[in-house]
Amino acid sequence: MADTINQTTRKGFLVDTSRCIGCRSCQVACKQWNKLEADKTANKGTFENPRDLTPALYNRIKFIEKETSGEMSWLFFNERCMHCGDAGCMKVCPSPGALYRTKEGIVAYNKEKCISCKYCVSACPFNIPRYGADDKVSKCHLCMDRISGGMTPACAKACPTETLKYGTRSELIAKAKAAKKVLYGEDDLNGLGVVYALEGPPEQYGLPATPSIPLSIFLWKDVIKPLGILGFWGSIGAMLLHYVTIGPKKIEEDDEGKGGSHE
Amino acid sequence: MSNYIERFSTSERVLHWIVTASFFTLLLSGLGLYSRLFNGYFTFFGGGQNAILIHKMCGVVFFFSSLYMYLNHKKDMSTFDTDDKEWVTKRGGYLSRDSAHFNIGKYNPGQKLFAIYVAASTSVLGVTGVFIWMPTSFPRWLVQASLLTHGLMFVASIMFVIVHVYLATIGNPGTLDSMLYGDVKRGWAKKHHPKWYKETSGDNP
Repeated sequence: MADTINQTTRKGFLVDTSRCIGCRSCQVACKQWNKLEADKTANKGTFENPRDLTPALYNRIKFIEKETSGEMSWLFFNERCMHCGDAGCMKVCPSPGALYRTKEGIVAYNKEKCISCKYCVSACPFNIPRYGADDKVSKCHLCMDRISGGMTPACAKACPTETLKYGTRSELIAKAKAAKKVLYGEDDLNGLGVVYALEGPPEQYGLPATPSIPLSIFLWKDVIKPLGILGFWGSIGAMLLHYVTIGPKKIEEDDEGKGGSHE
Repeated sequence: MSNYIERFSTSERVLHWIVTASFFTLLLSGLGLYSRLFNGYFTFFGGGQNAILIHKMCGVVFFFSSLYMYLNHKKDMSTFDTDDKEWVTKRGGYLSRDSAHFNIGKYNPGQKLFAIYVAASTSVLGVTGVFIWMPTSFPRWLVQASLLTHGLMFVASIMFVIVHVYLATIGNPGTLDSMLYGDVKRGWAKKHHPKWYKETSGDNP
């Protein structure tokens, strides 16, 4: 279903990973504003914590350990919903209004309308949506309750190094380009709502080089669905056509007579 | 001598209609999941969440009843003889008005192939359905592939069912009786399944 997005007024983040110091203020501020419970985690020998997004963790810092000539260094990456311009989750969601686009251009959700089918889990190009004990979708909603009132999202507000910058997406991109940054997500999927200036190839961060809606989901929604509707009416049409052209196999009087009269 | 001959027993007929009822309930409850275009069908079930619940319950009923139906007729449905080959070559006489005669047993090859398709698609829909049921317990690629396959098999199934309903009703007058009262007219049996008629009645048509 076509979902309209105004690219000039669209809001978003620009994440300059070179500025990130891995303090995780964004994680904490998000939990605080969204009143999310702490997740119990285990020490697995890395500073990265938690190791994955959870229903109560809408964004986190990924710690990627990189070794160059014997020296270990970290790459920090803010993982969250990318608020895709062409969002796989919205494409598959069977419940209107459960996942929707706001006037700011972000992908928001309404738990009351979520029917717990979890199709968004399969359709997300970045494997972001999580389902908790309530069996409803949860993910970053870009602090829709803050930005609709003109406030900055909690994570960006808390970021001490301006790694996370919130604003009008086109302006953020223009500024980053003027600073000669190489951007990830400017045009992919009709533009990601979260654009990154990375310090290396996307694969290093566990990102797909060219993100796209999973092929299976594309085939289902854009190929099988229209062909299926065609096939349904085509089959009915073919049967009716058969009936009026070749016609039914009627039992002739002769067959009846033989059957009935036989002793 | 009665003008009728029994084709399907009571238990066979009841089983068939259990499969039918669960199939159409699955169809109606699944349409809204297949595409938002059919969101209105959720209303029949009191919303999407209930539709999913009913879809799962009917899925279990359909899976077992449909497979049981096939296994009950496995021998008849999976063996083809030379008369069947003749039927396939001439497309069962369905593509011409000229009256054609085939020495067919209890089921013609079209019915056999349909039964085999139903058994195969029941298995595939059932297995992919389990992955879609609990998507967070399985790898993402498996659930994605299942969503695609489930949709594809659904489309194929509804098309086959349309053909099945046509051939069993207006396409072949007299056929429906076999699934309602269980008995068919002798004339019908002689025309459509002469070999079976001969075996069952000992009568030489």
